[in-house]
Amino acid sequence: MVRVRHGLFLLAGVLVFIQFIRPASNISMKDYPADISRIYPMEGKIKGILRNSCYDCHSNNTNYPWYSQIQPSGWWLASHIKKGKEELNFNEFGSYSFRRQQSKLKAISNTIKDGTMPISSYTMIHKNARLSKAEQDLILNWIEETKDNLSKK
Amino acid sequence: MPQAIAWGFLTNQKNMKTAILGMALAILLFSACNSGIKDTGDTDKSNDTRQTGSTTKTVEALSPTKRIVTEYLSLKNALTKDDDKTAAQTGKSLVEAISAVDKASLSTEQSKVFTDIADDAKEHAEHIGANAGNIKHQREHFETLSQEIYDLVKSGGSPSQKLYYDNCPMYNNGKGGNWLSETKEIQNPYLGKGMPTCGSIKEELN
Repeated sequence: MVRVRHGLFLLAGVLVFIQFIRPASNISMKDYPADISRIYPMEGKIKGILRNSCYDCHSNNTNYPWYSQIQPSGWWLASHIKKGKEELNFNEFGSYSFRRQQSKLKAISNTIKDGTMPISSYTMIHKNARLSKAEQDLILNWIEETKDNLSKK
Repeated sequence: MPQAIAWGFLTNQKNMKTAILGMALAILLFSACNSGIKDTGDTDKSNDTRQTGSTTKTVEALSPTKRIVTEYLSLKNALTKDDDKTAAQTGKSLVEAISAVDKASLSTEQSKVFTDIADDAKEHAEHIGANAGNIKHQREHFETLSQEIYDLVKSGGSPSQKLYYDNCPMYNNGKGGNWLSETKEIQNPYLGKGMPTCGSIKEELN
């Protein structure tokens, strides 16, 4: 019984202790001239969908949920955001090479079609980030148009 | 009551040791969870490096970009055999080959094309390298990569090597896909063993 009590005490100690190890927040108030919405014309609706369903992990500003304040889930989020931004950062889209921009548009389209993005571990909690069929089509069509315009250049 | 536990906990040396050990373990465990997501494409390294290792050494001296084409062709051949693991391995070699190019050694025209494709081609190769077990995804990246390697070859990226630019009209629900091959007969990297000879030669290079 004493051992169990010690164990619980220890666990509580560790849990309290790790709360002090906080990852840096992905929040920045800067202006982004290379943001995708400034590079390629898009209607406000598409901009809204991207902001709502993609920007948490694919931009320099995350709208943090409450559980990000509790470790280790905050760490887990931070690693997700880091990886997400490496893959694709909508705020810096314009700084990618022309080829990379095209590849990224294609990849966005593919992942939406396959349903691999937005990632399920994210939509599980952020239910409003799920893309409806209409929203998916809106984005897919926009990508097709944008890609066609690009290849004409 | 909690103080009593704390006191007992601190005074007992043996418990103290286990406590410290336990805490260290717990921290380790959490940090391991945090960084645990890594690609798993490394497992078959010993099998696959043999072929790529030998080819790269011999061609490196000839043309700075030729090794890229060589690795690309090994990748293509792995995909024709539906071999995702070798494809991943060659994807990694391709990343190295692209990184190893010294731009100063290229002609102005080549340098322009290389700069144009390098970062994107590298990313495609990286993804192919990280996606053993998901050949469909590897092929998606391979499609854009092929276009880029084609442009590189067109700019003189692999001089005096006879290459064929092939097209498979069936890939991607009829949208089609292109690839470069060193052989005249069609070996389809998109459909693999399912339909090995689907496709036709679009263009002969060099």
